[in-house]
Amino acid sequence: MFKDLDPILHTPLRLAVMSLLIGVREAEFTFLKEKTGSTAGNLSVQLSKLKEAGYIEVVKQFKDNYPQTLCHVTPKGVDAFEAYVTALQSYVNPDPNKNGTP
Amino acid sequence: MLEQQTSMTEAERLKLISDMIARAKNSFHESGLGPILWGAVITLCSLVTFAEIQFQFRMPFDIWFLTFLAIVPQVILVSREKKLRKARSRDELFMDGVWMVFGVSVFLLIFINYHTYQYMAPAVRALRETQPDAKSFSDISTSYFLLLYGIPTLITGIAKSFRPMVVGGVACWILAGISVYTPLKVDMLLSAAAALLAWLNPGIQLRLKYLKNRSAHV
Repeated sequence: MFKDLDPILHTPLRLAVMSLLIGVREAEFTFLKEKTGSTAGNLSVQLSKLKEAGYIEVVKQFKDNYPQTLCHVTPKGVDAFEAYVTALQSYVNPDPNKNGTP
Repeated sequence: MLEQQTSMTEAERLKLISDMIARAKNSFHESGLGPILWGAVITLCSLVTFAEIQFQFRMPFDIWFLTFLAIVPQVILVSREKKLRKARSRDELFMDGVWMVFGVSVFLLIFINYHTYQYMAPAVRALRETQPDAKSFSDISTSYFLLLYGIPTLITGIAKSFRPMVVGGVACWILAGISVYTPLKVDMLLSAAAALLAWLNPGIQLRLKYLKNRSAHV
């Protein structure tokens, strides 16, 4: 049986953001924008969706009189990401024993 | 462009994940300036002290005061690098902690050594009157510093899988062992070698890698 893929992570930009955040302790909005090559507006929308799902935390603060948005992945986000990767791997390399074929 | 992509195969998704993780990982390149600064300062101080003993002269000031002065550019470097950094790595706090503990330990060891020397100086002087070949306190104190130099260097080398620092850290410990049997003059050469191997050489290698990476992204 193939596992269902998490719809929150199924959007390429959201998946890219989660993959970036998994590798760091925290990242600024500008870092995510630069690495994903996305527009500020779209990135902002996708970050909100990840935040609503509880996968990331977003902290808005001021640094040297400039607004700064910091993002980091939550434990729930880590679990969801790991489950998503495991599910993807089962699609790419299906276990023949689990599918009932010899 | 990620924004225009709506459908991707599972294999493409896995590739996107590994690409992004690699992209995040490649964002953290040490500038190498810190290790270069400290490697150069300790090498210089050690060689000047060696020259003072070998050629029988005294500098108008204690050359090791440079280590206190070097804290100023170090603080500026760290705060500038932190300001420019747009993401923080998972091991950043740990690494900062290791080097901060090391810095405090070095200055505490200087303080302890100074006071131990004050307590022991009369006894050592009396001993040397009957045994001129007896080791002085200074002959031994370098070993503790070399032992200490090796600890954060080796931790960093192992944690970052950075071979030059692993080699440098092990070299510090070997030199610490050797320095127990050598006089202060030779200890200073060992100290210069330790700073060169543990910090200056890895720092230069990090710097070259950093500059190469930066020019590749321009």
